[in-house]
Amino acid sequence: MAEAHTVHRLRRTWDKHWYAWAMVIPVVLVIGALVGYPLLRGVYLSFTDANEHNVAATIGNLHLDDQFQFIGLRNYQSVLGGADTKFWAVLGRTVVWTLSCTFCHYSLGLALAILLNRPLRGRTIYRVLLILPWAVPAFISAFAWKLILARDNGIVNYVLGGFGIRPLDWLGTDTLALISVIAVNVWIGVPFMMVAMLGGLQAIPAELYEAAEVDGASPWQRFWHITVPGLRPVSATVILLGTIWSFNMFPIIFLMTRGGPGDSTQILVTYAFVAAFEGIRDYAVAATYGVLILSILLVYASFYRRALRSSGEVW
Amino acid sequence: MMAPKSESRATPPRTFRRRGERSALASVLLHATLVGASFIAIFPILWILTISLRPGFAGSSEVHLFEPSSLDNYRYILTNTKFVSWLWNSIAVAFFTTLIGIFLSATAGYALSRFRFPGHRPLMWTFLVTQMFPVAILIVPLYNMMNKLGWVNTHTSLVFAYATVAVPFCTWMLKGYFDAIPVEIDEAGRVDGLTPIGTFWRLIVPLARPGLAVTAFYSFLTAWGEVAYATAFITSDEKKTLAVGLQTFVTQFKQEWGYLAAASILITIPAAAVFFFAQKHLVAGLTAGGTKG
Amino acid sequence: MRKSIKVASMLAALAWSMTACRGSSSEGSAGEKKAEGPQSTTITWWDTADSTNEAPKFKELISKFQAKYPNVKVDYQNIPFDQARDKFKTAAQANTAPDVMRAEVAWTPEFASLRYLAPLEGTPASAGLDDYLPAPLSSNKFGGKLYGVPQVTDALALLYNKALLQKAGVSDAPATMDQLKSAALAVKAKAGADGLYLNPGGYFLLPFIYGAGGDLLQVDQKKIAINGTEAVKGLEVALDLIKSGAAAKPDLNSGYNQMQAGFKDGKVAMVINGPWSVADDFTGKAFADKSNLGIAPVPAGSSGKSGSPLGGHNYVVYAGSKNLDASYQFIQFMNSAESQAYLAKELGLLPTRSSAYQLPDAAANPVVPKFKAVIDKAVARPTIPQGGQLMIPLDQQYVRAISGDKAPKAALDAVANDYKQFLKDWN
Repeated sequence: MAEAHTVHRLRRTWDKHWYAWAMVIPVVLVIGALVGYPLLRGVYLSFTDANEHNVAATIGNLHLDDQFQFIGLRNYQSVLGGADTKFWAVLGRTVVWTLSCTFCHYSLGLALAILLNRPLRGRTIYRVLLILPWAVPAFISAFAWKLILARDNGIVNYVLGGFGIRPLDWLGTDTLALISVIAVNVWIGVPFMMVAMLGGLQAIPAELYEAAEVDGASPWQRFWHITVPGLRPVSATVILLGTIWSFNMFPIIFLMTRGGPGDSTQILVTYAFVAAFEGIRDYAVAATYGVLILSILLVYASFYRRALRSSGEVW
Repeated sequence: MMAPKSESRATPPRTFRRRGERSALASVLLHATLVGASFIAIFPILWILTISLRPGFAGSSEVHLFEPSSLDNYRYILTNTKFVSWLWNSIAVAFFTTLIGIFLSATAGYALSRFRFPGHRPLMWTFLVTQMFPVAILIVPLYNMMNKLGWVNTHTSLVFAYATVAVPFCTWMLKGYFDAIPVEIDEAGRVDGLTPIGTFWRLIVPLARPGLAVTAFYSFLTAWGEVAYATAFITSDEKKTLAVGLQTFVTQFKQEWGYLAAASILITIPAAAVFFFAQKHLVAGLTAGGTKG
Repeated sequence: MRKSIKVASMLAALAWSMTACRGSSSEGSAGEKKAEGPQSTTITWWDTADSTNEAPKFKELISKFQAKYPNVKVDYQNIPFDQARDKFKTAAQANTAPDVMRAEVAWTPEFASLRYLAPLEGTPASAGLDDYLPAPLSSNKFGGKLYGVPQVTDALALLYNKALLQKAGVSDAPATMDQLKSAALAVKAKAGADGLYLNPGGYFLLPFIYGAGGDLLQVDQKKIAINGTEAVKGLEVALDLIKSGAAAKPDLNSGYNQMQAGFKDGKVAMVINGPWSVADDFTGKAFADKSNLGIAPVPAGSSGKSGSPLGGHNYVVYAGSKNLDASYQFIQFMNSAESQAYLAKELGLLPTRSSAYQLPDAAANPVVPKFKAVIDKAVARPTIPQGGQLMIPLDQQYVRAISGDKAPKAALDAVANDYKQFLKDWN
């Protein structure tokens, strides 16, 4: 009797959800195979001493098996607590980088979207021009900005010189270099935010605004009580995704400054790359950094979700 | 688009502008801001264009603003390299990535938005988590997997690799957009006798056009400009995508700025064209009217 | 009826994803051979040479090879230098590496230690072994075996603008660091240009370190020498040149490009650079007349010796190659004295065979004999698997020292510290 009941319940669950599962199965399989497996293996490797010498390889007729050993938390100990570890300094810089980038991305993107959402002559042209930075591949932007910000023959210093301002070493001075790469990342990321917000703004029904107007609401009140809540699902999403995206943004810093001068623009992803791949590849250390980055972002996402939940969003 | 002015009001005189009206000053400021922002947006691209038209420009120690231009760099790129092959490769990879990206993320995003099916929360977290792991660390395991599947040096490997990058991101994006579409529309569809999938196709998708446009852009650009996976997976020159082909001009001690710039412009033009044609989808059919009668 | 539709759709969705995962027709991986005839093979060569200027000449050599050996087809792939090492290593562990690879000298011991390379003694590839210059050859020896043969070699030299030096009243190229400083200051005062531009890269600091009698490592004693007194003295000499105004204040982000731009435009009189830059120099207006470019060994330091780091590239063969014999043949041809002389004539690349220098082709390019004098005095870098990791810490700390953030000794101590991370049992 109990089994019949369970089977009945399972069938009801199936009936209720089969189409949802059908919609979701292809993605799950592809992601599971191509990302899930390497990720899980990566987590496992972070507890070993795997490097290029002792992982499995096939060289012609020579088949080498995995020969690395389980070493527990030793990798984490040396990265997090080692005597010469630069992890914490780099993490701090990464947080500064991420917060600055996301803040600028969101505020500029929102501002531009609001400006573009009005009836305006030439709106199409503005829209196309403003999303153009997104169309340029990241490595090209990196090269272009490197040229533009060059100390001796870059156009920015040339123009500043025309106003009598001394040329600044935008990419060769400690803090200035970090500001410069943040600015470049913002330049690259604002178009996406703008477009995402624009899409969100379009979905807010015009009648809400009209009704508010009839009720005597000021533009600011309309913004605060209609626009902001209406944008909340989209905003919540893009801020979360944008944060993760900036946190792991590799090409800009790697191509513009290689983490320099010294290591004043090094963030976790670029630092991990150097630590793991500059010599004999240290797969264990690479995985350790990967897991640490993943954990940091997971913790962030959990807090984010909790904050969203308290303001009404439910995942 | 201008709201009609009301003739008589019982309320005290307003101090706010009506929506849609602007003073001349506000208009000027608005346009000035947008012009300024547009300038910052396109200046680097214009600068690359300048460099591409002046051989030897970027290698000099001074800034010369006015010099004779020539199309030599473009001529070299188009005749002496396999640029055209790279272009077709990029178009093919980007096309399929966009197709797969939209399809997979729209279906998954919709399912996540509307249905509280068992496993939906772990799934959302999984999509988030897959974006958090840095790409560089995944390259070798992914390469080995592609090798086992026999896909090394094929475009299939790239399409799937890019799908793993684009789909989680786009699923999250689209879920946000679907969340903003009122559930009443789904209910209206059910009342009209449509299956859930029918509701999805006929009612929701047209309303989510801005979200789909963003998804399409993102998938396309991921495939168009990605370097790391493409460099690792593609080994023969004819199969390279544009992003990889461009690296040929970055040599050990010298960047061939002229060729790099010319090729960069040639890469940006198709992407800009896609933007231009698709950006009108950023203007959605308004949901107002969808639920009324 | 409806239920079977549901099940069918579910299965369809599953089936779609299954087929997506099965391998589609494989279009082949790098190294797959296409059979042209009953006995022909195809070998793949990954070349890291400059694709715009150098690759065409290599391809000409290849066509000569194929004319001589019609049974062997060569699939030439040009791989950008910055990616080549990573790409090779990724491919090598999965058995998809090319048959022949152009490996930089620092990569060769690393690849050999990972078992990716086939030993070459007794094969046609190592024909005429005695003909090779000893220093370039040494980077191919690992664990008592020979894993490659040197293709081209290079070393840093002092390149100078003869006209500018003459204008400043300097008649000969400076031979010591003191002469370098006074010549540079004279140029600054009398010729209106910067005397010297030092590229702020670790590799370009080595002439100063070697000149002062220091070194990066002492391999036999497993000692880290980069923070020894001589090395510190060398660094101080370089910093003094910058501080005194003899050398222009280097751009810490794109120093190499700025150095070349200034030199080519005649704004800088002297630079320390390698033979690869000469072709670039000749495109500048200062060297439209090629005879204006002077090439001299790097000035000697306080030890009395002039030391320049030796670089270059080797031919290596993948241990898992299925076409070993064809690969050996290929290397034998491409690295013969005639081939090397040809490359010397066309591209100014320095041969590694002493007999090649005697051939008329080599003398046809005026740059080559002058650099030969420099090569003879060059210092080979440590031939250890970790050799490729030595430069990055030096790059970072050199920049810090130049900007004044760290004192010279502190900077080099930091480098030594970084070295200890991957040279664990060294002292």
